[in-house]
Amino acid sequence: MANTDKRNVTLRVNGEEYELLIYPHRTLAEVLREELHLTGTKQSCNEGACGTCTVLLDGLPARSCLLLAMEMEGREITTIEGLAREGALHPVQQAFVEHYAIQCGFCSPGMILTAKALLVKNPNPSEEEIRDAISGNICRCTGYTKIVEAIQAASQAMRAMQAMRAMRAMNNKS
Amino acid sequence: MSLPRFQYFGPKTLRETLSLMQKQGGGAAIVAGGTEVMGRLKHGLIQPSCVVSLKGLRALSGITQKKKEIVIGAGTSVAELAESALVARLFRAVSQAANVVAAPPIRNVATVGGNILQNTRCLYYNQSAIVRKGLGPCYKLGGQVCHAVKGGTRCFSVYQGDLASALIACGAKVCLKQAGSSRTVPLEALFTGNGKAPLAIESAELMTEILIPVPKEPQASAYQKLRMRKAIDYALASAAVALTATRKGTIGWARVVVGAAGPLPIVADEAAKLLVGKAPGDIDAGEVAAVATRGAETVDNVLLSASYRRKMVAIYVRRALQQALSDLTTVHHG
Repeated sequence: MANTDKRNVTLRVNGEEYELLIYPHRTLAEVLREELHLTGTKQSCNEGACGTCTVLLDGLPARSCLLLAMEMEGREITTIEGLAREGALHPVQQAFVEHYAIQCGFCSPGMILTAKALLVKNPNPSEEEIRDAISGNICRCTGYTKIVEAIQAASQAMRAMQAMRAMRAMNNKS
Repeated sequence: MSLPRFQYFGPKTLRETLSLMQKQGGGAAIVAGGTEVMGRLKHGLIQPSCVVSLKGLRALSGITQKKKEIVIGAGTSVAELAESALVARLFRAVSQAANVVAAPPIRNVATVGGNILQNTRCLYYNQSAIVRKGLGPCYKLGGQVCHAVKGGTRCFSVYQGDLASALIACGAKVCLKQAGSSRTVPLEALFTGNGKAPLAIESAELMTEILIPVPKEPQASAYQKLRMRKAIDYALASAAVALTATRKGTIGWARVVVGAAGPLPIVADEAAKLLVGKAPGDIDAGEVAAVATRGAETVDNVLLSASYRRKMVAIYVRRALQQALSDLTTVHHG
């Protein structure tokens, strides 16, 4: 096998395994969009500046346009398609809809995934922490205010859900 | 914009990596995090014979405390460096610099070694092939013209990395390995000062570790960065200052480094001399800043004028110095 040939790669995306035959020079963004047809991941600048191609890599936001797909074996990849559960939007997605945090929508997948990763790590972030977390994702429509408000609302909703679950678990025990 | 086709090697050991690099005779593009190299490959700024990925070399990452120094694996992510409480406590400038590299998603992937070894940049050079073709080749691309400085007789590209300035201020050394040999040099020795070929690292050499000596005396350091937005942007001017205090409370040792104002981080020795032996209250921060700015080379570009950037270099040196002095006083009395 020449080192430029296609290779067999198994990618784990949104909890499902995909066996693929891909060239070494293909980026994760390209493979997600063109091979797996997960076109929620956007491509814009293609050089790491804009953040539209953001996916979660083992839970952390990363630029999929700068990653070689074949090197992603063994990593847990989450795209925007992996957030909704049984037809119900993820609380961050729901908050983006309710707070008008989406205008043209091109930055939204990356923005929402980045926000989700933040809220997993820090369930109750300050406005400054939110702005810092999304500082790598460029939005040319909203001016960010609505996005920050949506993330604050999602944080509240997710903490309320967490508290409900904890309460239910306690009730079940007693 | 896609990547060109390339031969790919994913060695699993350091030995295998060094042997591959030697065989390729300088033609290999080394990819660690890839956040710098992927852009250069996509733009066709480099046409390597192959890509050697360091993803398999887990041993190159991590931050460890030894007796007299902190050792940072070159493959450590910038995010890990930025979040390290140890580094924040001992070398605040390095921690501050790591926290302003690009943006969080890039820091999660980019490595410390890759950040240090980034190439110089220029608005006319870091462009797609079609734009560059329209302009014609500049000095950095083998031509005889500089598009950034009209009439310029050499390359005026700028080194815009954040970590190197802060690390140099703190006296860091780097370990470079190649098949059969290795050397440890002060980090500043890696920079040539020539924009066309800014890095003094041999083609078969791999940076494996960054070593920062821990001074016995109380010490403090600070880093300041100018950019248009609070994230993603490269530095348009930067300054790092590191100081140690003697028992008497005077400055025992000092280093001032000016970044993003020329093809290399500039070690401003004359400025540092103004600090050594003085009590913090006797230091004229404005004078130190003015002297440190002498070596800065600022270029007009569409973002900012050269004169504005020059003024900002002085202001950022002064701010970094004031911050370090204030921390040093706290450390000394604490």
